[in-house]
Amino acid sequence: MSTTTSAVRSHAEAVQVSRTVDYLGLFILFMVLTGSYHIHGMLTMGDWDFWSDWKDRRLWVTVYPIVMITFPAAVQAVAWERLRLPWGATICILGILFGEWVNRYFNFWGWTYFPINFVFPTAAVHMAIFLDVVLMLSGSFLFTAVIGGLGWGLLMYPGNWPIIAPLHVPVEYNGMLMSLADISGYHYVRTGTPEYIRMVEKGTLRTFGKDVAPVSAFFSGFMSILIYFLWHFVGRWFGTVKFVKKT
Amino acid sequence: MKTIRDRLTRWSLVGLLMTLAAAVMYTPTASAHGEKSQAAFLRMRTIHWFDLNWSTDQVGVNEEMEISGKFHVFEGWPEAVDPPEVSFLNIGIPGPVFIRKESYIGDTFVPRSVRLEIGKTYTFRVVLKARRPGEWHVHPMLNVEGGGPIIGPGKWVTITGSFAEFRNPVTTLTGQTVDLETYNEGNIWFWHVLWYAIGVAWVVYFVRNPVFIPRLLMVNAGRGDELITPTDKKVGMLFGAATILLVIFGYSSAQSKYPVTIPLQAGVLRGIKPIDMPAPTVEVKVDEATYRVPGRAMKMVLTVTNNGDRPIQLCEFMTASVRFMNPEVCEDESGYPEDLLADEGLTVVPNDPIGPGETKTIEVTASDAAWEVYRLSDIIYDPDSRMGGMLFFYDDAGNRQIVIVDAPLIPTFM
Repeated sequence: MSTTTSAVRSHAEAVQVSRTVDYLGLFILFMVLTGSYHIHGMLTMGDWDFWSDWKDRRLWVTVYPIVMITFPAAVQAVAWERLRLPWGATICILGILFGEWVNRYFNFWGWTYFPINFVFPTAAVHMAIFLDVVLMLSGSFLFTAVIGGLGWGLLMYPGNWPIIAPLHVPVEYNGMLMSLADISGYHYVRTGTPEYIRMVEKGTLRTFGKDVAPVSAFFSGFMSILIYFLWHFVGRWFGTVKFVKKT
Repeated sequence: MKTIRDRLTRWSLVGLLMTLAAAVMYTPTASAHGEKSQAAFLRMRTIHWFDLNWSTDQVGVNEEMEISGKFHVFEGWPEAVDPPEVSFLNIGIPGPVFIRKESYIGDTFVPRSVRLEIGKTYTFRVVLKARRPGEWHVHPMLNVEGGGPIIGPGKWVTITGSFAEFRNPVTTLTGQTVDLETYNEGNIWFWHVLWYAIGVAWVVYFVRNPVFIPRLLMVNAGRGDELITPTDKKVGMLFGAATILLVIFGYSSAQSKYPVTIPLQAGVLRGIKPIDMPAPTVEVKVDEATYRVPGRAMKMVLTVTNNGDRPIQLCEFMTASVRFMNPEVCEDESGYPEDLLADEGLTVVPNDPIGPGETKTIEVTASDAAWEVYRLSDIIYDPDSRMGGMLFFYDDAGNRQIVIVDAPLIPTFM
């Protein structure tokens, strides 16, 4: 067989080869995203995602969407532009959540015995599906950046509230008011993570009374729009074929 | 070519076998906290832990133990370390083998960071509840923002029983008692599995059809728009609407189920009260302090003036949690960790009592393998070569006088 002859001899064989390429490609894509997006996530929003006593209504809401819209924007740029596949964001989030759950279950719980209710990751599939659906229905990266990016930021907190609300029930503990999440952070000793490292409830956003989360979410949404544009071009640059010689 | 391939295969196999053998035959447990690796000056010149007491060294799962004592915030706090304006009383254990039930500095409950004053002495108490069976090295610890962890002496404590029997009940202000060990886990799994399943369904819907090659060819042929069918758009709208509705439903049901919630609590606790240490009636001037590298010994020449009304003798020199005891004067009866106790490590010449009103020059030598074992001899490589520590004098009635010393340290190599 030379380079100019076909590797397959029939249509059925071509279909079979094509599907094999699909499954191999999907597996590789999923595992590469699991690893690379996971590293990116841990380096940028690590502790906010690790611990329930970091999941606050200000910084978690702000930081998580901004730093996590990166890979979805880049993968969408390639998957939609080259293949018209509308699941670029969702595959990223499924990958990182798979990696995070493996890490939290086997490492945080199985190895160091932190309870799962203290170390669960942030739910983000709803944000990713929204981003993908907006891209598919609009077919426009500009529209996806503005509406999808804003929705990405806005949906994060309400989508996670059913998971974290039970941990925000108040407790009077040795004369101090603490949430159950605060008590988890106090009880389950993190020798290398002293309390002052915790970046929660900091900032000057005090003019909206107790309704801080929506303002943080809007800010996060606006920033997500900008980061979406930036990482869209990272994706295009990463997905270029101009260095491949045409035969 | 075949020879190279065979060699590669053979050596890869050898490498794999060696890796497996190394992993199987040598898997030590990391059970301490790298306390010996901390720079010597950090341990000698920041926090001095003393009068420590571990209530027990064996405890069953669900039972409590207590570590209590005092710490002095050293006057000669090094320039390289930020002052302890934001500090956290922590506990050095390998993961949550205990849970920390309570911790106090003075009488103040300190679940959060505190501000401490240099030159002051504080009492502390930490109550721990045993969680995971095993033998664990348990240290008091103070984390200082800009300085890192300053770890105190560690003692081995054995936890017996079964981890499965551990319970952590907490009663909320809404009157519900929950086991914090497993509370909310079902809810967490439910939402994560549900969303993950929806995400997988979204991807699988499109992966049913060819994914890469045919789609790439279609897009390259300018027929990309044909790849998204009207049905695909309807499915997309369905997923989008279902996602938003599920978020709204989840949020509102959580709001109605948990109407009373509070934000996470944070902030530095100020106004922590130190204890009043009685002013010592002993004055000590360090005339000279040298560290003899080959002999693992630190020698101090001290001019001691006894302004009290009873004769005194030097009992102990303590630095970096290592206690050098003068055996002719006193011995430790507190069960202090053996590796940190040089029970014959202090030589005083002359070792006679110093009478009331008397001034005497004494030569004090603190020598023990602990200098090397605890890597305190590395102080000669520090950027600010000074030593610091506490001297404990006792009079003939058993009264204690504590004097802090802080002086330049000169190494000798002969």
